[in-house]
Amino acid sequence: MPQTSAWERASPETGAPAPVSSPTPSMEIGTSSKNGGVWPPRGSFASPTPPAKLDTTFVGKHRSVFWLALKTGFLTVLTLGFYRFWMKTRLRRWYWSSTRPGGTPLEYVGDPWEKLLGFLIAVVILAFYIGVVNLALMFASFSLFQQNYAAYLVSFAGVIPLWFYAQYRGRRYVLARTRWRGVRFGVAPGAWGYVWRALMHWAITLLTLGLLWPRMTFYLEKYRIDRTYFGNARFTQGGRWTQLYHATIPMFIALALAGGAAGLIAAGQTATGSPIAVLAWMMAAYGYVHYRVVTFRILANHKTVGGVTFTANPRPFRILMITVLGYLATGLVLALPLGALGIGVMLVQFSQTEFMQDFGELGTMLALVPQPALIAIGIALYFAIFLLWATFTHAWVTMPVWRHYATTLTVQNPAALRQISQRARDEFEEAEGFAEALDVGASI
Amino acid sequence: MTVIRVGAAPEPFEATGLYFDGDTAVGDLAQLSVDEAARALVIARIGFAPLHWPLDDLRLLPDLGGKDLSILRLRDDPVARLILNDDLLLERLPDVRRPAPVTRRGRLVAWAVAAVASVALIITVLVPTMADQLAVYIPPEGERALGETTLNQIRSALDDTGMGQPVAFCEDPDGVAALARMQAHLAPGLPEGQQVSVHVLDHPMVNAFALPGGYIVFFRGMIEAAETPEEVAAVFAHEIGHVISRDPTRHALRSAGSIGVLGLLFGDFAGGAMVLFLTEQLIQATYSREAEAGADDFARALLLETGIDPAALGRFFDLLRAKYGERDGFFAHFASHPALSDRILAANVDLPAGFEAVPVLNDDEWQALRNICQ
Repeated sequence: MPQTSAWERASPETGAPAPVSSPTPSMEIGTSSKNGGVWPPRGSFASPTPPAKLDTTFVGKHRSVFWLALKTGFLTVLTLGFYRFWMKTRLRRWYWSSTRPGGTPLEYVGDPWEKLLGFLIAVVILAFYIGVVNLALMFASFSLFQQNYAAYLVSFAGVIPLWFYAQYRGRRYVLARTRWRGVRFGVAPGAWGYVWRALMHWAITLLTLGLLWPRMTFYLEKYRIDRTYFGNARFTQGGRWTQLYHATIPMFIALALAGGAAGLIAAGQTATGSPIAVLAWMMAAYGYVHYRVVTFRILANHKTVGGVTFTANPRPFRILMITVLGYLATGLVLALPLGALGIGVMLVQFSQTEFMQDFGELGTMLALVPQPALIAIGIALYFAIFLLWATFTHAWVTMPVWRHYATTLTVQNPAALRQISQRARDEFEEAEGFAEALDVGASI
Repeated sequence: MTVIRVGAAPEPFEATGLYFDGDTAVGDLAQLSVDEAARALVIARIGFAPLHWPLDDLRLLPDLGGKDLSILRLRDDPVARLILNDDLLLERLPDVRRPAPVTRRGRLVAWAVAAVASVALIITVLVPTMADQLAVYIPPEGERALGETTLNQIRSALDDTGMGQPVAFCEDPDGVAALARMQAHLAPGLPEGQQVSVHVLDHPMVNAFALPGGYIVFFRGMIEAAETPEEVAAVFAHEIGHVISRDPTRHALRSAGSIGVLGLLFGDFAGGAMVLFLTEQLIQATYSREAEAGADDFARALLLETGIDPAALGRFFDLLRAKYGERDGFFAHFASHPALSDRILAANVDLPAGFEAVPVLNDDEWQALRNICQ
C-alpha cells in the first residue's frame, strides 16, 4: 500500500453524488461538428442513456505538428536552448488537445516558467555533482588506471539511481498537469521507493539473463499505476506478471532462429546459416516492438480507476512499420538537400587550401569567401540537421505512433465517471527539472 | 443607462456548449448567449443558476490540436472549462489570446540567480582550486595518459573536413630527425626524469601548445612563420617551461570538471558544440600572467644555458606582432597576459659575459624541419 496520509486528505471522499441534471427537449443537441463527430459528444454530459463505452479519437494533422515543431525548434536553437521549455509545453498542449477520449480533449496545463524554475533547481544540485565528482573521478581514473574509462563507468553508475528518480518525478509532473473534463490526474510521491525497486528488478533481470524481464515490467508498472489518480479515484493495476510471457513469443522464436543459425555456421554451413542469422536479427527487432506493444495492451486491459476500465488494442506490426518507414522517410528527405549543401561547403573549404590555385576562375572566386562565413554556414548546417530531424520525426514517427495508441484505446463503463470528482493541485515546484537535466524521456 | 455602439449592432449569439465545472468528470450541456449590455457570456444549464463570464476575462487555451473546437476558460478560474464547436464567439472576445501572466516571478529570479551563482562558483573557484591541488598529486604515468587522451581529442576537434579524420602528424623522417636534434640541444636544461614528446600537426594555425605529461605540439603554421631555427627553439623552451610547472595538467583537469557543468546548462542539443568549444579553449590555453611570466623566465634561462640568444624569443614575438597584430585569434596563447609588447621587452635581456652562441640546427636540418609536413 502506498503511503498517502497527506496526499489522501487532498482528495475529497469518493462517492459524492454528482449534481443531478438531465437535458430537456428544449436543448438543441446533436449538431454535427466539422470533424464528422456529433456535437456535443454523447457520454460527455449526464444523460439517462449514457453510451456503454467511449472511443478515443485523434484529430491532429501531420502538417500542423510539423510547423509547430519546426517553429519552436528554430526558436530553441536561436535562444541557445532556453526556449526548449516552451517548445515542450506547446508540443504537449498540441498532443494532449488532439487526443479526445469520448470526444472531449485532454488538456495539458504545464507552464514553461515552472519548467525553467525546476530546471534551475536541478542545475544547482547537479552542477556540484557533475563538476566536482567528475573531476575527482577523472583524477582517480588517470592516476590508477592511466585511462578515463573507469571514470566514465563510475560516473555513469552514479547517475543510474538519479535516472530512475528523475523518471518517476517527471511522470508525476506530467500527470499532475494533465486534465480530462476539467479533472486533474495525479501521482502520489514515491520516487525513492521506485529507485530501489527499479535497481532490484534490473539486477534480477540481468542475473536471470532476461528471463524475468516480464516480472520487472509488471511490478514497476504496478508501482507506478497504483500511485496514479484521476481526480479522487485511484488507479489499480490488476493481472499477474506471468500473463506478460505471452508477449515474449517472437523473442523466443528469434532466439531459436539465432541458435539454429549459430549451429549451422559452426557446422560449416555458412550459406544456409547466414540468411537465418539475418532473419533472427529481424525477428528480434520485431520481437522487441511486439513485447513493448503487447505488454502495454495486456497491462492497459487490467487497469481500473473508480470502476472505469479500458480496452487497448494497439497492433505491434503497425507500430514497427510506422517507426521503420518514418525514420527511413526522414533520412531520405534530409539526405538529399543537406548532402548537397554539405558537399558545397566542403568544396569551398577545399578551394581555400593551397592546392586550389589551379582551379581557374571558379577557384579564385570561391577562395574569396571569407572564413568566418564558412564557419557560420557549417554551424548553421549542423543545427539545421538536428532541427529538421526532430521536426520530421515528430510528424512521421511520434505523432502517428501516438495516434495509433490513442485511437485503439476505449474507455469502458463511463457511467462510473459520475462518481469521480476533483483533486487538489500538486504544486511540485521542481517540475521535471531532473528529467530535463539528465535528458530522461524522449521527444515530448 | 445608455449603451453607445459604433456601427451596426452585433448579431445575437446562440450556441450549445459543454461546460465542465472543474469538480466532476461529467459535463453539463450549456446554452450559450452573449449579454451585450453586461458584456458577459451567459452559460445556462439545467438545474443551475446561469453563469455570467465577463467577455474581457475569457481566455482561449493555446496550441489546440483540433481546430474544430474552442476551449475557453475564465482568467481567474484555474479549472472550469467551456468547450464549443463555434469560433464566431472568439471575434467578440478582446483579450481571448492574451497569455497567462507569469506567477511567482520572485522565486524564479531567486533560483535563476542561485543557479548562475553556483555554476559560476563551481567553474571559477571550486573546480580550479581542486584541479590545482590534484595536478600536484597525479602520478607521471597518469599525467602522460591524460596528455595523450587530450591530444587525441584536439586532433579530432581540429578536423576541418567534417569526416571525423584526426589531423595528421607531420612525420617526414629528416624533419623528425631535425626536431629530435633540437630537443637534444635543449635537453641539458631539463630536470631529471622529465619526459618530453614533441609533435608537429599538419595544420596552418600559427600556434604551439603543451599538454600534460610533457607533450609539446607545434602547428605547421608556426614552423613556417619562423625565420630561424632559434625562434622555434625559443618557443620550444617556453612550452617546456609550461610542462615543468604543470600548467597544462591543471588546465586539462579544469576543463574535465567544467565541460559537464556547461553541457548540463545548455542541454544536450549543443553537447557536441560544447566539446568543440572547450577543446578550442585548451589549444588557446590562456594561462595566468604568472604562469606565462614563469614560462618566459624558464625559457630565457634554458636558452642561455644551451647557447641560444634569448633575444630569439623577442624577435619571433616581434615578427608575429608585425604580421598578426596584438591580439589576433590565431595567436591568442602567446598574446595572452602579459601583453605581447611587455614580453618582447622582457625577452631582450643583456647577454652575460662569456656567452657564446651555439647554432641549434645547420642549414640542411633547418630546411628538413621546415619541410617536415611534405
